[in-house]
Amino acid sequence: MGLSNSESSQALKRTVIIAIFSAVAVVLGIVEAQIPLSAMGLMPGAKLGFANIMILTCIYFLRGRDALMLVILKTLLTAFILGTFSSLLFSLFGSLLSFIVMFLLMKGGRMQLSLIGVSIAGSIAHNIGQLAAASMVMGTTSIMYYLPILLVTGIVTGIAVGYAVRYLVSSLSQISLFEEFLR
Amino acid sequence: MKRADMLLIAVILIAALAFLVPRYFSGNEAKGGQGKELVANVTVDGKHYRTIKLTKEEQTIDIRTERGYNILKVHDYGVEMYEADCPDQVCLGFGFITLPKQTIVCLPHRVLVEIASGAGEDEIDGFVQ
Repeated sequence: MGLSNSESSQALKRTVIIAIFSAVAVVLGIVEAQIPLSAMGLMPGAKLGFANIMILTCIYFLRGRDALMLVILKTLLTAFILGTFSSLLFSLFGSLLSFIVMFLLMKGGRMQLSLIGVSIAGSIAHNIGQLAAASMVMGTTSIMYYLPILLVTGIVTGIAVGYAVRYLVSSLSQISLFEEFLR
Repeated sequence: MKRADMLLIAVILIAALAFLVPRYFSGNEAKGGQGKELVANVTVDGKHYRTIKLTKEEQTIDIRTERGYNILKVHDYGVEMYEADCPDQVCLGFGFITLPKQTIVCLPHRVLVEIASGAGEDEIDGFVQ
């Protein structure tokens, strides 16, 4: 291949980072599934969205297509491991919408929004994407009954994820693996 | 947090409130309970499956489809999902519902249970397209 030495070394680093991040994202997804949110009186199906920490960090350091690869890997692996294959479509729809919104905001709106704002927008987009997919499949809009509650929980989880990403980014920036991806 | 973050949060909160407030006001006359004649519409895969009258007496309804089974339990003028063989068990988390427009959704089995007021004042149709 026509890659020079430094180019291929950077491509390898990207692959390694995507692999590590997707492994961590899947573990975070499993951890999150153990927390019974609906038992705490919250809307069933509401999630903390820990895996979003890795996706947002990936968008921060790497290119959009790398982050997209991470989103697809994480969604597929989590669906296989947790055994909710039938809901794969819904989580894929939500994750992709969330990714697109966060990617566009990171590229275009970095000046206005901080990482926390981007994280909130991604969380809300995830909820809306899932509800939209669900209402399309079920052929009814009555699922939208839960939209307001999901909007409020989305703000809360978005803030938590945003703070986690801020700490993670500042720590990772000090590791030599991430040095050349800093902007 | 920057100012734009605060603005985003404010916009989302206002949107959520705009959905919630009308529901809160209309909630008073649409309360469930004795003599209100509420029904639960069960749809499977978008097609109407059954309409169940919500009674005080206990009754269980089996919904068996090729995707799996769900068991609904009706009591005290409300309905709850009692059992399901789906892997995520999200539908059980919806709990016991008693008010019109509240729903229980089982996405893996494409089962939707929605409470509506019985025959007569059927304003629910405006919401279901």
